[in-house]
Amino acid sequence: MIPGVALIVGVVLGLVLQPSVPLWLQPYLPIAVVAALDAVFGGIRARLDGIFDAKVFVVSFVSNVLVAGLVVFLGDQLGVGAQLSTGVVVVLGIRIFGNAAAIRRHMFRA
Amino acid sequence: MTRRQPKHRPKLGGMSVSLLNELLNNTLDQGYAEAARRRAGQDPQPPRPGQIVVAVGLLLVGLLCGVGFAQARRSAPESARVKIALIHDIEARTATSNDLERRLDELAAQVARDRDAALTASRQGTAARSRLQRLESQDGLLAVRGPGVEVTVGDAPPKQQTDPVTGQQQTVQPDENGRIADRDLQVVVNALWSAGAEAIAIDGRRMTATTTIREAGGAILVDFFAVTSPYTIEAIGDPDRLLPHFVDSRVGQQYQTYVGAYQIQFDVRRRDQLTLRAAAGTDLRHASTVPEPSAPAGPSGTPSGTPSSAPSGGGAATATPSPSGTANSTPTPGGGS
Repeated sequence: MIPGVALIVGVVLGLVLQPSVPLWLQPYLPIAVVAALDAVFGGIRARLDGIFDAKVFVVSFVSNVLVAGLVVFLGDQLGVGAQLSTGVVVVLGIRIFGNAAAIRRHMFRA
Repeated sequence: MTRRQPKHRPKLGGMSVSLLNELLNNTLDQGYAEAARRRAGQDPQPPRPGQIVVAVGLLLVGLLCGVGFAQARRSAPESARVKIALIHDIEARTATSNDLERRLDELAAQVARDRDAALTASRQGTAARSRLQRLESQDGLLAVRGPGVEVTVGDAPPKQQTDPVTGQQQTVQPDENGRIADRDLQVVVNALWSAGAEAIAIDGRRMTATTTIREAGGAILVDFFAVTSPYTIEAIGDPDRLLPHFVDSRVGQQYQTYVGAYQIQFDVRRRDQLTLRAAAGTDLRHASTVPEPSAPAGPSGTPSGTPSSAPSGGGAATATPSPSGTANSTPTPGGGS
C-alpha cells in the first residue's frame, strides 16, 4: 500500500517539478528508467513468490541503474554507445517480459 | 532417403542456446532467492522496517520515471517545436506582407484615379495622361490581360536511390546542375522579351524595366520577393508568334536539352487568357515640368480667397503639385490652363 502510493507520488513529483537534468546525464536517463522498471517488476514477482526482501530490492534497483548507465557510458567512450544501449534495453526488456509473465501466472493462474 | 545427422554438433550453437535460456528463464534477480534461503535458516522476523525502505526505493523509481518522461517530452520535440515556431513566424510575416501589398495596390489605384481625375480636367492634362498611360503600360505599371504563353521552369525532382552502405532507400536532392538558378530565369525572361513578349510575370511578379531576379541564400528573389520552384513565367504576346519564336530560340533549344541532361522541368504552353497584375511599388525617380502651351495665364482673374504666390515661370511641375491657383478656379495640380 505505502510503496504503491510512494511510486505514484514519485511519478507526480517528477512530472510536476520537472527538475532540469544536467546535459551530460541526459543520454543515460532512458536507460536508467528501463533499469528501474526492471527492478520494480523483479520486486513484484519476488513479492508474489513470497521471497521479497527490501534490501535486495533497493540494492538491485540502485545497482541496476548505475550499471546500466555505466555500461552505456563505457560504450559511449568506446564509440559503441548506441549499440550497447540497444543491448542493455534488449536484455532488460527480456527480463521485464519474463517477470511480467511470472506475475501474470501468479495473478491469473494462466 | 534417410536424413543424415551431422556428426559434430557445433559447440557454439549449444552454448548460445544455453545463454539464451539463461537469459529467458532466470529473469528474477538471484538475490531474492538467496535472501529467502538466508532467512529460512534464521528466525522469521517481520519485515516491518523493509516497508519504509521499499517505499523510498519506489519513490526513487517513480521520480526517475517521471523525470525521464518529462525530459523525453521536453527534449525530443525541441527541434520540431523550433521549426513549427519558425513556420508560424514566416506565415505571420507573409500574411502581414500580403496585407500591406494589397493596401499598397489599393492606395496606388486610388492615387491613379485621383491623378486621372485631376488630369482630365484640362486639355493639356489629358494629353499628359494618355502619354503617361502609354508609358505605364510599357513598363508594367498597369494590369494587362490577353493571350500568351506560359513557361514552367523547375528544379529536377529529388531522386530515390539506394544507399550503397546501409541499403536503405533515401531521397537525394538534385545537384547544382539540376537546380534552377537566378541566371536561368534571367535568360528565359530575356528570351521571352526578344521573342516578342509584351508583358512578363514570374509567379505573379510583374517584370518592369528595373525588376531584379537575384539569388540570395539559395532562394531566388524576384523584385525582393522569394519565389519557389517550379517557377511559372507568364508572357503576354501574340502566341502564334511568341511560342515558335521562343521555342526555336537558342535559349529554348538549350533548356529542352537540359530537360534530358539534368531532368529539370521545362514546359512551354499556349494560354488563351492571361491576366498579369501591375507591378507594385514604383518609386518616382524622374519628374519634369510641362512645357508651356502658348500664352501663360494672366494674373487678371484672381479668384477670391487664396492670395497665391504665383510661380515665376508659370510652368507647374507635373509630379509635384504646386499651388497654382492663379488663373483657373478648377484645382488642377498639373499646371495652369
